[in-house]
Amino acid sequence: MDATRSAIELDRVGKRFAGGTLALAGVSLSVTSGSFVAILGPSGCGKSTLLRMIAGLDTPSEGSIRLAGGQRGGDRGVSFVFQEPTLMPWGTVFENVWLPLRLAGRSRAAARDEVEALIGAVGLAGFADALPRELSGGMKMRVSIARALAPHPGLLLMDEPFAALDEITRNRLNDDLLHWWRERGLTALFVTHSVFEAVYLSERIAVMGPRPGRLVAEVAIDEPYPRTEAFRSSPRYTLLCSAVSKALRDAQQGEAD
Amino acid sequence: MNPRRFPSVRVIVPTLVFVAALLGWEAMVRIAQVPHYILPAPSLVLATLWQNLDSLAQSWWFTLKITFGALLLSAVLGVALAALFAMSRWVELSLFPFAIVLQVTPIVAIAPLILIYVDSTTAALLICAWIVAFFPVLSNTVIGLRSADPNLRDLFTLYRATRWQRLRLLLVPSALPYFIAGLKIAGGLSLIGAVVAEFTAGAAGRETGLASRILEASFRTEVPKMFAALLLVSLTGVAIFLLFNLLARSLLGRWHESEEDPGRRS
Amino acid sequence: MSPTIRPMQFAIAAAAIGATLAVLAPTTSFARDKVVFATNWKAQAAHGGFYQALADGTYRSHGLEVAIQQGGPQVNNRPLLPAGRIDFLMTGNLLHTFDNVKNGLPVVVVAAMFQKDPQALIAHPGQGYEKFADLAKAPVAMIAKDGQFTWWQWLKVQHGFRDEQLRPYNYNLGPFLANPKAVQQGYSVAEPIYVENQARFKPVVHLLADHGFSTYSTVIEARTDTVKNRPDLVRRFVDASILGWYNYLYGDRRAANALMRRDNPEMTEEELEKSVALIREQGVVDSGEALAKGIGAMSEARIRDFHDKMVKAGLYKPGDVDLSKVATFEFVNRGVGLDVKKQLGVR
Repeated sequence: MDATRSAIELDRVGKRFAGGTLALAGVSLSVTSGSFVAILGPSGCGKSTLLRMIAGLDTPSEGSIRLAGGQRGGDRGVSFVFQEPTLMPWGTVFENVWLPLRLAGRSRAAARDEVEALIGAVGLAGFADALPRELSGGMKMRVSIARALAPHPGLLLMDEPFAALDEITRNRLNDDLLHWWRERGLTALFVTHSVFEAVYLSERIAVMGPRPGRLVAEVAIDEPYPRTEAFRSSPRYTLLCSAVSKALRDAQQGEAD
Repeated sequence: MNPRRFPSVRVIVPTLVFVAALLGWEAMVRIAQVPHYILPAPSLVLATLWQNLDSLAQSWWFTLKITFGALLLSAVLGVALAALFAMSRWVELSLFPFAIVLQVTPIVAIAPLILIYVDSTTAALLICAWIVAFFPVLSNTVIGLRSADPNLRDLFTLYRATRWQRLRLLLVPSALPYFIAGLKIAGGLSLIGAVVAEFTAGAAGRETGLASRILEASFRTEVPKMFAALLLVSLTGVAIFLLFNLLARSLLGRWHESEEDPGRRS
Repeated sequence: MSPTIRPMQFAIAAAAIGATLAVLAPTTSFARDKVVFATNWKAQAAHGGFYQALADGTYRSHGLEVAIQQGGPQVNNRPLLPAGRIDFLMTGNLLHTFDNVKNGLPVVVVAAMFQKDPQALIAHPGQGYEKFADLAKAPVAMIAKDGQFTWWQWLKVQHGFRDEQLRPYNYNLGPFLANPKAVQQGYSVAEPIYVENQARFKPVVHLLADHGFSTYSTVIEARTDTVKNRPDLVRRFVDASILGWYNYLYGDRRAANALMRRDNPEMTEEELEKSVALIREQGVVDSGEALAKGIGAMSEARIRDFHDKMVKAGLYKPGDVDLSKVATFEFVNRGVGLDVKKQLGVR
């Protein structure tokens, strides 16, 4: 993959907050179009801030962020999945998934088929009229993802979306996420603090050190897709996890010196 | 019998207790021979109410008009001003002190002043009742408008929502529970405001509400009539409370925690 | 040896007796009756007689320890009498008593200090209100709650006033002073003085009493059981109060004024004196039957006459009020105080 097919280019991006805290210092990263990249780091290292800046919700103090097709959005836009499902509690599943299309001007009737297909695709067929409070945590996260997929984004940004879920649900969603990603040819940027998750999901892990965040290592995971439970129980997986954990620990040590 | 599982229990138990209290009151008055001008028995109060139903009903209607007029004004102006405050921090900072001053100054002191500036007594009463009821709606709605989930707000920004879309689809539904809470408070307060304002600023004769009836009965030492008028005031207060509870339930019952029925949690 | 007492012995004896008396006097047979008397307003010259009896010891010499409880714009002392919290109550006109009797409250009038009710309507001079009949045309009439529910009704029926004119009067002269076309209520012996002080003009004053409002005023009400069970107490209170009025009107009233000014700090000596002059000039207290029978005089005929007028005005239905229960005449009409009046050099 050559650089010109890069979906995201981060060039020495830094962020200093109003109080003076330096959250990020000189992060440079290149994300190839269609790839699945994980950003791994301890709490407080600025990875969420980085993601928000890529989404255009925040601006860097130094450096630049370029997205394929222009500074923001591009021809196939950006979607964001938060750590909380962030659903509108007063709307049904349908209305929540419909939201991005609605904001773009699509009427309920015009969007109906697409939205219902999406609801089915995330495994919630029949729940279109349910309210968020009737759903479990995992189900709400599926709605959130369905919503993110609704406007056919080119770039899917996810900020620790499965961190609050139990292991079984998390593993199932991991598999589903990979499936949706491959099916739609998105570029996926996945922030996490879980080594296991990063290794299982991504092709490339960008390891960040503690505050002020900077990229300290990159680990390639060249296990082919589709990945299954078998991968999770393979020795190769364990080795990769150790290597990544070590990189993470080194990052902590390095900064501490 | 868990009151949560059997809704009819929620109605029956308070009613029974209330009726028992009334019977106790009646018994006490009769047994202790309490004079009617000190504490009239419920039976006498009800009889007096029945005898004076015509004039009391007219006054009741007037008080209701002032109460709901003030409430409507509070709701409309409260929301409008809250929207203004939510849009501009500067406007909020400039105007909020006035709102607070209006809130804390006792209406009993303001009422005669307003009467000096406003010619019509009815208008003065409406203004007084509005002042009392307005602030809870304003402050609650402002908080409500600000309470929209920040992540949702980011989402709306991300998907490039217009200001109007943001208001209609995000801010208004987010603010609704708070607005309703403010309205519940304002409902009771506008009744109190209407009655208190009339005590100080009302004029007897035409266009008088229950407060004037109470005062008149007090000056003519007709104590059972005082109680009868007070009874109507209380009934109105209870009715307003129930009305707004119903409103809250119908608007929020489906989705908001404040109206959640604990038995329903999945 | 002549039984002369030596100066030293005399001195010792006198001191001993004096000391004993001083210690015992307040506590022996002089256990005075405690009495609470509530008025209908803040202390003013129209209460002068009562404060006089308090200040100059007349109540005390009648065996009474009297506490005067002021009324005021936000104070309603009236329910306290039937409730037993006070012993005597001052009210401004007989309508209140009629209402009480009609509603079965066990209270009764025992004396009427004012032969004329000073209730009046005042207006700006030169605005066309020189005649009483003109007042009914005023665009705005400021009447307080008390009056709204009582004599205003009489004004509507007898003299053509209308509810459209009615505005609440909150005892603030401001609105009246600001509007030359307004009329408002007042006491003929009080408000005109305040108006002149604040706005430097003499208002036109129309006494309701001159136009058919023939009630007694500043009457003393008591519970019927007090009258029945402790008539001696009532007699002493009424007598002392009557004497107080004679002394206040015609004698040295400085102590009484001081007492009133302590209770009501907004009152000035000048206002009190001017008010007394008006009370005397208008014959509010000492006129009519009081001239022969003493202050406080009452007659059944006059009560009946006033009642009938009020029935005609629609305030009561015939038979609503049992006139025999309105007043008792056993404590007045006995000429109490006439000797004091003569002593003070008044003819």
